[in-house]
Amino acid sequence: MEIAAIFLPLLGAFVAGLFGRFIGDKGAQIVTCSLMVVAAILSVILFVQIGFGGPEAARTVHLFTWIDSGSFEVAWSLRMDTLTAVMLVVVNVVSCMVHIYSIGYMSHDPSKARFMSYLSLFTFMMLMLVTADNLLQMFFGWEGVGLASYLLINFWYEKKSANDASMKAFLVNRVGDFGFALGIMAIFLIFGTVQFDEIFAQVPEKANATFNFLGFEVHALTTACLLLFIGAMGKSAQLGLHTWLPDAMEGPTPVSALIHAATMVTAGVFMLARMSPLFEYAPDALAFVTVMGALTAIVAATIGMTQFDIKRVIAYSTMSQLGYMFFAIGVGAYPAAIFHLMTHAFFKALLFLGAGSVIHAMSGEQDMRNMGGVWRQIRFTYAMMWIGNLALAGIGIYGVFGFAGFYSKDIILETAYADHSWYGTMAFWLGLAAAALTAFYSWRLLFLTFHGEPRADEKVMAHVHESPLSMTIPLGILAVGAVFSGIVAYPWFVGHDLAHFWGGSILMLANAEGETIIDAAHHVPGWVPWAPTVVALAGIGFAWLFYVKSPDLPGRAVASIRQLHGIVFNKYYFDELYDALFVKPAMKLGLGLWKGGDEKVIDGFGPDGAANLTQRLSGVASRLQTGYVYHYAFVMVIGVVALIAWFFLSAR
Amino acid sequence: MVAMPDLLPALPELFLACAGMLLLMIGVFRGEGSLRLVSWLAVGALLVTGVLLVLGPTERTVTFSGLFVSDSFAVFAKLLVLTATALTIILSQRYLETEQLARFEYPVLLVFATLGMMGMISANDLIALYVGLELQSLSLYVIAAFKRDFAKSSEAGLKYFVLGALSSGMLLYGASLVYGFAGTTNFDALAALFAAGETPAVGVIVGMVFVAAGLAFKISAVPFHMWTPDVYEGAPTSVTAFFAVAPKIAAITLFIRVLVDPFGDLLAQWQQVIWFCAVASMILGSLAAIQQSNIKRLMAYSSIGHIGYALVGLAAGTEAGVRGVLIYMAIYLAMNVGTFAIILSMRVQGRMVEEIRDLSGLSKSHPMMALAMAIFMWSMAGVPPAAGFFGKFYVFMAAVDAGLIVLAVIGVITSVVSCYYYLRIIKVMYFDDLTEPLERPSRAASLVIAGTALFTFPVFFIFSNAILTGAATAAASLFQ
Amino acid sequence: MSNPLLIEYLPIIIFLAIAVGIASAMLIASLLVAKQNPDSEKLSAYECGFEPFADARSKFDVRFYLVAILFIIFDLEVAFLFPWAVALGDIGMFGFWSMMIFLGILTIGFIYEWKKGALEWE
Repeated sequence: MEIAAIFLPLLGAFVAGLFGRFIGDKGAQIVTCSLMVVAAILSVILFVQIGFGGPEAARTVHLFTWIDSGSFEVAWSLRMDTLTAVMLVVVNVVSCMVHIYSIGYMSHDPSKARFMSYLSLFTFMMLMLVTADNLLQMFFGWEGVGLASYLLINFWYEKKSANDASMKAFLVNRVGDFGFALGIMAIFLIFGTVQFDEIFAQVPEKANATFNFLGFEVHALTTACLLLFIGAMGKSAQLGLHTWLPDAMEGPTPVSALIHAATMVTAGVFMLARMSPLFEYAPDALAFVTVMGALTAIVAATIGMTQFDIKRVIAYSTMSQLGYMFFAIGVGAYPAAIFHLMTHAFFKALLFLGAGSVIHAMSGEQDMRNMGGVWRQIRFTYAMMWIGNLALAGIGIYGVFGFAGFYSKDIILETAYADHSWYGTMAFWLGLAAAALTAFYSWRLLFLTFHGEPRADEKVMAHVHESPLSMTIPLGILAVGAVFSGIVAYPWFVGHDLAHFWGGSILMLANAEGETIIDAAHHVPGWVPWAPTVVALAGIGFAWLFYVKSPDLPGRAVASIRQLHGIVFNKYYFDELYDALFVKPAMKLGLGLWKGGDEKVIDGFGPDGAANLTQRLSGVASRLQTGYVYHYAFVMVIGVVALIAWFFLSAR
Repeated sequence: MVAMPDLLPALPELFLACAGMLLLMIGVFRGEGSLRLVSWLAVGALLVTGVLLVLGPTERTVTFSGLFVSDSFAVFAKLLVLTATALTIILSQRYLETEQLARFEYPVLLVFATLGMMGMISANDLIALYVGLELQSLSLYVIAAFKRDFAKSSEAGLKYFVLGALSSGMLLYGASLVYGFAGTTNFDALAALFAAGETPAVGVIVGMVFVAAGLAFKISAVPFHMWTPDVYEGAPTSVTAFFAVAPKIAAITLFIRVLVDPFGDLLAQWQQVIWFCAVASMILGSLAAIQQSNIKRLMAYSSIGHIGYALVGLAAGTEAGVRGVLIYMAIYLAMNVGTFAIILSMRVQGRMVEEIRDLSGLSKSHPMMALAMAIFMWSMAGVPPAAGFFGKFYVFMAAVDAGLIVLAVIGVITSVVSCYYYLRIIKVMYFDDLTEPLERPSRAASLVIAGTALFTFPVFFIFSNAILTGAATAAASLFQ
Repeated sequence: MSNPLLIEYLPIIIFLAIAVGIASAMLIASLLVAKQNPDSEKLSAYECGFEPFADARSKFDVRFYLVAILFIIFDLEVAFLFPWAVALGDIGMFGFWSMMIFLGILTIGFIYEWKKGALEWE
C-alpha cells in the first residue's frame, strides 16, 4: 500500500510523459488523475492507520540498498510515521485536487500531457522527499522537486519571463541546496551515518561535540543545523533566499497552488520537523530559525500589501505563512508548525486555485487594477475566495468555531508567546503584526478583485464566466478542508492526543518545569488567543475602509509615506541588491572566462585547435594521393629505404 | 627416392584446388550465364573446405618437407578467410548481374585467390609463402580489372599489378638476402638459428625488413598503402568488398607468422618497423578519410586505419598481442562485410551510387539498414558496447602490457579522430533530408547485413567467449 | 673493404666500370673528333634512307600479347620438363605423379583457353 501510494504518481508521470503522444491528451489526463485519486485515497488510509494507530503503527518499508561503500550505507526505504503520513495526505490530496483542476484550467493549452506528466513527476518527487528514511534519499526528493518546479515554472517555455523565473528559482535554490548538502556532509562527519534513526539515537551523546573550523571551535550540531536550515531557507523562500518565489508565479496557476504554496515550499518546514531531535540540541540554531521566520513573516506581509498581481500577493502571503511555520519550529513547537503546514496547504491551495479561476474567468488577466466588480458573475469562486481568506486570516471565535487558519495560527502565536525568550517574544509581536497585515492584504485582494467598478475592458467583461466543474469541484473539496481541518485536527495535532498522535516522529524536549512548549502554550494569559482574531478583524476593517468605503484613501496614504512605500513596493530592493552583488559580477566573470578563457585559450588550443589541425592534416594527407603510379612506387621505395636507414641509425 | 608426403594436413587446400579447377571446367563448358550456378557451387566448395578444416588435425603438423604447416592459428585464420570469401560471393551475384559483369570466372578467381591465401597462412617456408602470395595476388590483379571496359577499373587493376609486382620484388629480394645470409628459407630452421642467440648478420635484418615491406604492401600499411584508395575506388564494388577483408586477414596472418615464427627472436629488430607502420597507418587512416566523399575511398582509408590498429597488437609481439589481432580481424570481418553489403545495396533507379551523400535520409527510407550501418559505424569507431570496441581494447591492452604505451595512446587519439567520419555517416543517414531513396536490397544482402550487424552488436557482446577462446588457442599454438 | 660479401661483388664493379668507361670514351671521342654541325634533317629519325612512314609507337593487336603469354606458359612447362626428365630416376613415383598433376593443371588451363576461344585469331 505504501509503495502504491508513492509510486502510482511516478507511473502516471511515466505514462503521460512517454506515451502522451499515443494515448492523447484525454488519455494522459485520465491516467494521471485516476492514479492520483487512488494514491490520495491510499494515503488517507495510511494516515488513519499510522496517525491514529499510536506510536507502534509507525514502520519502515525497506525497498533496496542504494549505496554501500565502506562505512557509507544508504538504502531506499520508506519511513512511515505520523509526520510522513501527514505530509502524504497533504501532498496527495492537494496534488489530486490540482490534477483534476488542471483538466479545466489547462483546457486551452496545447501540451496537456506534458503538464500532467510534470505534475505527477513532482508529486512523486515530493513523496520521495517526505518518505525518506535518510538524508540522502531526502536530498534526492529535494532535488527532484526542484527539477519539477523548474520544469513547471518554465512550462510556457516560449515566454522569456518564464525562462528567467525558472532559472532564478533553480539558481537561488542551488544556494540553499548547497547548504543542505553541506549539512548532510556535516552530519555524516559527526554521526558517521545519514540514516535518521541512527542519527537520532546518537544525538544526546554528541550534543557537545565540536568542529575545528579555521582555528575556531564551533558547536558541531549548531553548525549542521544551520547548514540544514540554509537548505530549508532556499526551498521555503525564507528571507534572503526568497526572491525566486514571487517570480515562480510565471508558471501556470495550478503549479503555483501545488508547488509554490501547498507542498514544495513547505519541504523546508518538514525537513526541520523531521530533524527535530537534532535541532532540539542546537538552541542557537533554533534562535536563528525563529528570527529568520519572524522577519520573513512580517517582511513578506508588508510587500504583499503593495503588490497588484493577484498571484504575487498570494505568493507573498505564502512566504509570510512559511515564516510563521519557521518561527514555530524555532521556538520548538514542531507540531504547531506541521499543523499550520497542513491547514495552510488547504486554504492556500484554495486561494491559488480560486485566483486561477478568477484569472481563467478574466481571460488571463492577473493585474488586480484591471479587475473588480465581477463577484456577481462568478459567485462560486467568490464564495471560495471568502472561505480561503477567512481561513488565511484566521478568523474564528475562541472556544467555539474557527476556520482552519484560526487554530493553527493561534497555536503558533501562543507557543511564541509562551517561549519567553527574547526571540520568541519578538516573533510573537511580529507575528501578530503580520496577522493584521495578512487580513488587510487578503481583503484588499478580495475587494479589488470582486468589488467596485469593473476596470477591465468590455470584451473581457463579456467573457467573464464561472469555471467548469472540473475546476469548481476541487475548489469545493479544498474549501471543506479550509473550513474544517483546523477544528477537526486540533486535538490530534496540538491538543490532548498529541503524544499518541505523533508517536516518535517528533521530539520536543521538556523545559525546566517538565512541560513541552505546546503544554506551555495552553497556559498563556487569556488575551493571547484572542489577539490574532482581533487584529485580523481590524485589518479587514482597514481594508474595507481603504478599498470599498473611500477608494481614494490608498493613493493619499501612499503619497504620505512615499519613501517607505517605494521601498516596500520594490520588495526592499532585494532583487536589485542581488543583481548588483552577484548576478552582474558573475555575468562579467562568466563572460570573461567564456570569451577569454574558454573560447580563446581552451577552445583555441583544445577542441577547435585540434579540429583545425586535423582538418589541415587531413587535406595534406589526401593531397598525397596523386594518382600517379610512379609517385606511389616512389613512396614505397622511400619507405623501405627509410625503414632500413632508421634501423641502421638506431642500431648504432 | 623422395617419400610420399603426408597429404592429410593439406586436405582442405587440395580439395579447394580441385574444386576450383572443376568449377572452371563447369563454367567454361556451360558457357555464359553460368555465374549463378558456379557461384553457389563455389560457396558450397568453400563450406566443405571449412568443414574439412575443422575436422582436420588440430595440433601443429608440418608436411611437404617442411613447406607447409597446419596449426590452430592457421585454422582460425583460414576459417575467417573462407567466411569472408563465401559472403563476398553471395553478395556479389546481384551486383555482377546488374553491372553486366556476370561472368563465371569471378567466383572461380575468388576461389583461387582464397586458395592462395590458405597457402600463405600455412606457409612454413619463404618459398611457400611466395607461391601462396603470388597465387593470391595474380587472382586479385585480374578481378581488380574485372570491369575491363571501364577505364577506372582497368586503371585500378594496372596500378595494383605494377605496385604489387614492385612489392613482390622487394619480398623476393628480402627472401634472397635472408637465404644468402642465413642459409635456409625454412621458418623452423630460421627460428632455430636465431634462437641460438648469435647476433644475426646485417643482411638478414635487411632481408627481413624487405620481406616485411612486401607484406606490408599486401595489408596496405603506410607507407606501402598508396595503391589502396585508388584500387578500392576503381575496382568493382564487390571486388572492393573482397579486397577489404579476405586478403587483409590472410596477409596479416602471414605477417604475424613470419615475424613471430622465424624472426620471433629478432623482436627488438622488427618491432620498430611495425611500430612505425602502425603509427603511420593509424594517423593517415584517420586523417585522410575525413576529406573523402566517396564511400569506397573512405572505406579504403578506414581499412588502412584498421590495419594500423591490428599492427599495434603485432607490435607488442606477445601472445596477448597476437590474440588481440585475431579478435580484431574477426570483428573487422563482420563490420566490413556488413558495411560493404550495404554499399553494394546502394542503388538508385538501377544504377550504383557510391557517394556518402547518397546515404542521406536512409533512416527514413530503410530504417533497418540505417540502423545496421549505424551499428557498423559505431563499431568501427570503437564505441562500446559494439564489437569494434573490444577489438581495439584487446590490442591496446596488449600494447600497454608490452610497454608500448605511446603506441596505445596514439591509437586511442586516432580512433577519436576517426570517430568524426564514422559519425558523419550516421549523421548523414539520420539527420539529412532524403534525396533519392535507395532500392530495396536483395534478400541475400539483407540477410548478410542483418547477420553481421547482429554479430557486431549484440551477439559478440554476449557470446564473445567463443571467439576469445578460439583466438587464444590460435595465438597459443603459434607461440608454443 | 674487408667485408667478404662486398669482395665477392668486386668483379661486377670492375665490369660496370669498364662498360661505362668504354661507352663514355666512344661518345666523348666522337664529340671531340667529329665536326658538330646539326640541322633538322640530320637530327630526324631515318628508316633505311626513307622518311619514316608512321609513328614508331604503333599499336599492336592485343592478341599478340595473349599468344605470347600462352607461349611463355608452355615454354616454361618445357623448361620444367627437362630437369624432371633427367632426375626422374631419382625422384621415383612421387616425382612422376607430381609432374603429372602439374601437367594436368596446365591442361585444364589449356582447355579453358581453348573453349574461351583464345587460340582463334578471329
